Amino acid sequence: MSFIGFVLSAVAVASALGVVIFRNPLTSAFSLIINLLAMAGLYAAMGAHFLAVTQVVVYAGAIMVLVLFVLMLLNLKFESKRRFGIFRTAVAVAAGVLMFATIVPPIMAHFDTLSTFTLSENMTKSEGSVKAIGTELYGRYMVQFELSSLVLLIGVVGAVMLAKRKTSQIGPRDGAAGGAQ
Amino acid sequence: MEPVISYIGLSALLFTIGGIGLCLRRNAIVLFMCVEMMLNAVNLAFVTFSKLVGNLDGQVAVFFVMVIAAAESAIGLAIILSVFRSVASIETTDSAELKW
Repeated sequence: MSFIGFVLSAVAVASALGVVIFRNPLTSAFSLIINLLAMAGLYAAMGAHFLAVTQVVVYAGAIMVLVLFVLMLLNLKFESKRRFGIFRTAVAVAAGVLMFATIVPPIMAHFDTLSTFTLSENMTKSEGSVKAIGTELYGRYMVQFELSSLVLLIGVVGAVMLAKRKTSQIGPRDGAAGGAQ
Repeated sequence: MEPVISYIGLSALLFTIGGIGLCLRRNAIVLFMCVEMMLNAVNLAFVTFSKLVGNLDGQVAVFFVMVIAAAESAIGLAIILSVFRSVASIETTDSAELKW
């Protein structure tokens, strides 16, 4: 079990780096799909079966297909030739290190607890099966669950409205296509 | 099983990589994918603590995060499409009309 977790973690980190590093957006998208599948594997290994399936169906399925459709629709003929400048890279990595340094101290404050506990001890009490999650969703989280369906409906209506609007309705712009040539 | 700290460390690492990508890249769709990756990192921490504490509230929270991410991706990609229609580029440096 531990070996599987290690391999999945390594795959997740490697593919996450791939999303950032690869120049072609399409390669980044496929790298992200691998990342999402590795996370789904981790969820399954942790016993959160419902979330593992939802991760594959919603994230790796629906959302990434939408991203790939948009990439295909935009039909970007030119790749961004501009390199990541050394200054820009340094600033980005510094921001990342700063962010990591902000996250780590609260974790390290409880390092002893977190490093002695393993997940198998509480495994049976919080088994994330479909039945258990469904009981929670339709029980205590009933109102929030119904509201989330409303959020999805508004999201769909808003997306259609944004995507169907003609460019002329937004208003003509001088030299709007200048960036392409 | 691995100790809990390894999952939390992985979550922090993925969140940081997503943040670096957000600072580094200029392509709007890649920025969107970096945000999705950061959401996923937080989801992993949610699931880990749900298992650690021993109740299902964290996993229900992950479900709601996924719902919001789905709605966000639909609207975000529609916005990227309409930006592309008016500016003819999805590089964030090309739509700098508000830059002084």
